[in-house]
Amino acid sequence: MFSTTHERGMIYVLAVPGPIEDVEEVRVLEWHGTAGQQYKPGDLIVELETHKAVVEVRAGQAGILRRILCEASVWEKAGGLLAVLSDTPDEAMPASWDGLRQCEVAFEIT
Amino acid sequence: MMLIRAFEAALLRREDHGFQLLTSGQEAVSVGVCAALGESDQLLTSGRSIGPALARGLDPGRVMAELLGKSTGPNRGKGGRGHLAEPVAGFFGAHAVIAGNLTIAAGVALAAKCRARPIVVACMFGDGACGAGALHESLNIAAVWKLPLLFVCDNNQYSVSTPWREVLAPAQLSDIAKPFGVPGVTVDGMDVIAVRNSARDLVDHVRQAGPAFLECVSFRFTPHSTSTRETRSPAELRAAKARCPITQFTAHLRQTNALTAEQLATLGDEVAATVAAALHYADTSPFPDPAEALDDVV
Amino acid sequence: MPTPPRFRILPKLLMMSSDREPQTTKVFFREAIARALREEMRRDETIIVLGQDVGAFGGSYKEFMGLHKEFGKMRVWNTPVAEAAMIGLGVGAAASGMRPIVSITYMDFLMLGLDPLVNYAAKARYKTGGQLRVPLIVKVTAGAKGQGVAHSQCLESWLMAVPGLKVVAPSTPADAYGLLKSALQEDGPIVYIDHKRLFQTPGHVPAEEYVTPLGQACVRRTGTDLTIVTHSYMTSVALDAADRLAKHGISCEIIDLRTLMPLDMPTICASVVRTRALLTVEEGQATCGVGAEVAFRVREAVGSVLVGRLGALPAPVSSNPILETACIPDAKRVISATRQLLAV
Repeated sequence: MFSTTHERGMIYVLAVPGPIEDVEEVRVLEWHGTAGQQYKPGDLIVELETHKAVVEVRAGQAGILRRILCEASVWEKAGGLLAVLSDTPDEAMPASWDGLRQCEVAFEIT
Repeated sequence: MMLIRAFEAALLRREDHGFQLLTSGQEAVSVGVCAALGESDQLLTSGRSIGPALARGLDPGRVMAELLGKSTGPNRGKGGRGHLAEPVAGFFGAHAVIAGNLTIAAGVALAAKCRARPIVVACMFGDGACGAGALHESLNIAAVWKLPLLFVCDNNQYSVSTPWREVLAPAQLSDIAKPFGVPGVTVDGMDVIAVRNSARDLVDHVRQAGPAFLECVSFRFTPHSTSTRETRSPAELRAAKARCPITQFTAHLRQTNALTAEQLATLGDEVAATVAAALHYADTSPFPDPAEALDDVV
Repeated sequence: MPTPPRFRILPKLLMMSSDREPQTTKVFFREAIARALREEMRRDETIIVLGQDVGAFGGSYKEFMGLHKEFGKMRVWNTPVAEAAMIGLGVGAAASGMRPIVSITYMDFLMLGLDPLVNYAAKARYKTGGQLRVPLIVKVTAGAKGQGVAHSQCLESWLMAVPGLKVVAPSTPADAYGLLKSALQEDGPIVYIDHKRLFQTPGHVPAEEYVTPLGQACVRRTGTDLTIVTHSYMTSVALDAADRLAKHGISCEIIDLRTLMPLDMPTICASVVRTRALLTVEEGQATCGVGAEVAFRVREAVGSVLVGRLGALPAPVSSNPILETACIPDAKRVISATRQLLAV
């Protein structure tokens, strides 16, 4: 669901949402935006393919796409990291993605 | 018709005739339907296959060989009457499971449609098949896909011992086609001209528009099979034989002066000679080698 | 209409050698099936697909996705629910020169079409003395996955006993592709059995075209103490059990049958000759099961060895999760069957 407050200047990771029944791995189908793309809540960020459906991942908070970690047609496990987003466009990227907060998302299985 | 009658009579006189379902009495149905089919069309039948096979033009000697289990039969002696087949001659074949050939016939028609071959596929079955789901499934899919399939119900009015009205709901069996929007016609199966005329009309329809259902009401002159006892009364049999298709058609030809007594006698001689030759061919043909039991399995 | 002789340009058989790693791509199980069909349908216009929901819907598992769009309604036929007609249509069309694949969504419903399959397709070549061939594939999905007593069965052992029928069961996307490519070159009827639980596991498939030969099992894991012969989804169950047993010093060789009929007895026997112990594992019933046939043939060929078999409990498989789990073999039961057989 959508978050109400954010600290200014945070970096977030976008992880494969879930749990989705029987899904251990997904394949990135299509990114809707490139680095620098601004999302508001409800915007479609990326589509993922499971063995039986397409998952639409939509922004649950405002944010800016900074780096795509899994390009289209790349596989990632449930819970794995897909991208890095931030509140503002100029925050420095950290050395590692560990410990970063997860970006709020809503997902729909189509 | 005369050939079918004489052929079966000769077969029955032999001790080794085997398990047979005879067409005698029902010749007009096979002959009338086959008169409406072209060379490239295909005919499938039930286990009552001798009449249809001969009507379709299969060589009587090879048919006799197949019936007697000789390896010179079209099926190399491995099918017998129940599975007699010669697809290259337009006789896709008999299948001994009641209603078992209907979905197959639909598939043959589907292939014709896929390959844009303008052939008609006719499938013969009896009243015994009319309660089976396979008939209804085949009618449905033939109607929806407009398959070039002619359903020919040779209704000899008994499924072994069971009169058709006791176990089938429709007023006439061609009504079974109605819910599927398939045109259905019922004719007198003892009248070869009536059968031929209706068959021609429906074959034309099938070529152009889609499936059709022809019911021919007939009467068999022998029990259901050579292993089944007769269940009909002598009176009923006598009445049926009074409507013999051969007698009726001969009388018609004689009355209209289309056939002289001499010509009729000649026909009789030719038929007798053909049957004798068929028996001779079968009798001088070998049985299959037992090792052939494992040929053509997979 | 006699079936014309088939002169086909076979896809180049992929040669695996140590100095050339084949390029692979990771795909969903359903994609492996669709790819095999798409490739073959492009080169052979006699291949048609019949089934429920195989058109725009792409099949129950999306394994036919894209075919209707590319090949159209004269190649991909959506049928009503009528398994006898579906299979009969396929049989008649195959006997008339087409190469149909009939999709039956649940193996449980194959029974509705057993007459055209067993009484006609499997016997057509024989009963016509070789005049007819029936190059038909009947694809069915077997296995228990919470859908209840009439939507869970594994009946492959029944089919193995029908002369004239071949039976295959892939356990990986690579073999789902390769076995289907092989099946599309056969000139008799073949039942292709996939499994509900296989669709969720992706796998690597060579990028180049290839066939998985029929009648050839695959040694999935080498070992010395026990030969486990299995197939389909149970292959991954057996591999899981073998991993755990290895930690206790028990070394299992796992043979994935891939083709159930004809059985690859040379591969099985070569293994059992070394291990001297055989455990068969199947999700279907043990009674008259795949394992019973394998074990007896091993006995005939190799002589007396330790033999055990594991299959489902002799009960219908309920949708109830507790009861389904109780009935179907899992890694725990494979481990305990192994320990019991080897007395360790």
